[in-house]
Amino acid sequence: MSARYGMVIDLDRCTGCGSCMMACAAENNVPPLPQASARTGLTPMLVRKVSNGMEGVARREAFIPIMCMHCEHETPCVRVCPQQAVEVDKATGIVMQMPQRCLGCRYCMTACPYHARYFNWRDPAWPSGMEKSLNPGVAVRMRGVVEKCNMCHARLHSAKEKAAAAGRREIDPADYVPACVEACPTGAIRFGNLADKNDPASQEARSPDAFRLLARIGTEPKVYYKSKEAWVRALAESTSGPSSKGASEVQHG
Amino acid sequence: MKVTRRDLLVWSAGAAAGLMVTPVPWKLLDDSSIWSQNWPWIPQPMRGPVEVKQTCCSLCPNGCGMRVRMAAGWPVGVAGVSSHPISRGALCPLGFGAHQLNWHPQRLRTVRHRGIPSSWSQAQSAFTRACSEGPVVIIDGYPGRAPSSVFETFSQKRGAYRVAVGSESRALAPYESWGGVPSAALGYDLENAQTIVSFGAPLLDGWGTPGRFTRLWAERAAGMTDPQLRLIQLEASLSRTAARAWQWIPLRAGSDSALAAGVARVLLEERLVAARGPMPPLTVSDAAAQTGLTPDAIRDLARTMAARPPVVAIAADHNRAIAALNVVLGSAGARGGLVRRSKRAQPWISADPAIASVRAMLIDSSVPWDFAPQTDAEVFRFAAWDGGSSKADWLLPAPGFLEELTDVPTAPTSAIETFAVASSLVKAPPQVQNAAQFLCSLDSSLSTTEKIIHARCQELFRARKGTVIGQEATPLAKFTSVQKLEEQLWKGAVWVGEPSQPESLRCELKEWPAAVASSHPESWLTRWPEAVLPPLASKLYTESSLREMPEKGNA
Repeated sequence: MSARYGMVIDLDRCTGCGSCMMACAAENNVPPLPQASARTGLTPMLVRKVSNGMEGVARREAFIPIMCMHCEHETPCVRVCPQQAVEVDKATGIVMQMPQRCLGCRYCMTACPYHARYFNWRDPAWPSGMEKSLNPGVAVRMRGVVEKCNMCHARLHSAKEKAAAAGRREIDPADYVPACVEACPTGAIRFGNLADKNDPASQEARSPDAFRLLARIGTEPKVYYKSKEAWVRALAESTSGPSSKGASEVQHG
Repeated sequence: MKVTRRDLLVWSAGAAAGLMVTPVPWKLLDDSSIWSQNWPWIPQPMRGPVEVKQTCCSLCPNGCGMRVRMAAGWPVGVAGVSSHPISRGALCPLGFGAHQLNWHPQRLRTVRHRGIPSSWSQAQSAFTRACSEGPVVIIDGYPGRAPSSVFETFSQKRGAYRVAVGSESRALAPYESWGGVPSAALGYDLENAQTIVSFGAPLLDGWGTPGRFTRLWAERAAGMTDPQLRLIQLEASLSRTAARAWQWIPLRAGSDSALAAGVARVLLEERLVAARGPMPPLTVSDAAAQTGLTPDAIRDLARTMAARPPVVAIAADHNRAIAALNVVLGSAGARGGLVRRSKRAQPWISADPAIASVRAMLIDSSVPWDFAPQTDAEVFRFAAWDGGSSKADWLLPAPGFLEELTDVPTAPTSAIETFAVASSLVKAPPQVQNAAQFLCSLDSSLSTTEKIIHARCQELFRARKGTVIGQEATPLAKFTSVQKLEEQLWKGAVWVGEPSQPESLRCELKEWPAAVASSHPESWLTRWPEAVLPPLASKLYTESSLREMPEKGNA
């Protein structure tokens, strides 16, 4: 039976520490150089600070981790890619990006309603010697290709290899946990198979506090958010995106 | 057979059309893509056997449990250890990039004397000469370790030993004078508290052992309207902790002492607590005028605090008024408040950057770069990374992340005693040595770090108390030899002492402490020497605008 891997992020638990960003970048060999601006940077997992727009005591702030939403229906990036470099993996529901096929046209970045795709503007670079710290499970991407969150696909491969070595067809869910989920100190990010009704993530995705960003456009993202705060839930349908710090400030490409 | 021009054209068109139904063009396209994405100057990951080792982080005194993935002998990834009794599987964000630190562009690899490359033999000669000419002071930023023991022994013969500890440890100092218990032996029993009142302490932003409070908050408070654990943040600005607190009360910057006095006065006047201290001289109206709050807001705060005990107030730094508030609340020496975790800890004397009458000052690599000596003494500073322009006659390269063997004593805010060993997982460059090795090379009578750690393990084994938490929890009494204990500790297990006895701390407060302007440390990020930031952290924080970044020194 096919899985539908997804996440549920409890925004009431997110303290905006940035551990998920760090763990994601280290796991996926995101190069520290060259440092770029918010416009040209490369942050497959990006934590944004949002507020209710009030000042003084009435001000409230929250943090929203944004990554590829792994849209299930009419996946915008898949539909526009001329190279078939993006596809939805039928076995997992993960939206896969294949840098070898990507020619760098950036149609997918334009099409993505969540600005969750990033372009490698420069050759990836590390300070001298630091290439020894690269994760051997993930290939370094080249200048001129688009990349994004792939739910730590290398970890899925490892889990499959482990299952195969043990003679099992199905992976042990404990063996496949994306880096951001593993790193979150408050357990705000829950990961699991949304197709399995008994999976805790699947159950949370169906809770009354759960919502999805820009749900009205009908792309059926597999990344859900949760919050009891009405003003946070209202941001999900905001046309300017969930950023009070100037949505235009954090556009990429 | 005559080949016409028409035949040639037909054959070419047919070949072109036929080629399209073969895999050749697609394979060529694929190969050229792969080839064009693998230029020789693009770094490639190391190949080799992958293994996972467990240890403790030694970058700061909190000693979080770490799982380090190694490939071909090099660390390629870091994660938390869920069984670690204090950090509970969490790390600070910088910990996830710590394995890159050893290749930081500002890594120190050579001895420097006033900016000019020098040698270890010259540094040793200069230090030996200084020792013969006058007293030497040794500054330690991470007291309680085996190297600290080397420093203390050396200092007893030739000068003085001082410590430069962080704001969390400094916040515990007032209880030392009132209770007679060294601040190094004190901790917060957060797990049993019902109300935590933070005077600007960044509890959810790197305070103490990051995983300890964040996990506790996530389990007992996050997203709850009426949480089991009430976190009240008293702070001028809406910090990360304030944004997530059950209640945020903005007050004027620097007015923490006045608010503590005002709250204590209400507690005593309204008999909300049993009288345990003197009445503060400040009236509630005076406190309101200084803090910018209304008198009613201060009264409400006091009632809220008293409503759900145990309650503990946490200061961001040394603040006698906030400590006095804990005495009034009955939280000093009580379950859910301040507790004494150890009977072995020794008192220490804080370092003064402007120390005079010494011939030389040796600063260990554990001392943060914001400790800037203002002295005429000759300064020998050990550091793994060049953190700035602070005065240092000699800059001596020290081992980096996971490059040296050290023990990991109890974290500063912990309520329970722990002991672990951070073994050397990575071979240090040949040019580096730590301050303890440096001193041992000058004085052969000093015990080495290895011998001191071995002696501490023997001491633990003889006491036969506590539990060793590795793959599973084993009472120490079940270990049959000290070698087996050491074997477990070297593999990343943690020894945990017995639960603390709160009543072993009794504080006598005869008069309310005089008000002093309180200081808040800047964000936890800026407390790290800027050069220590993993390059990935500086990149991500710059690109995401999630945190303010120091201007210079980042890769």
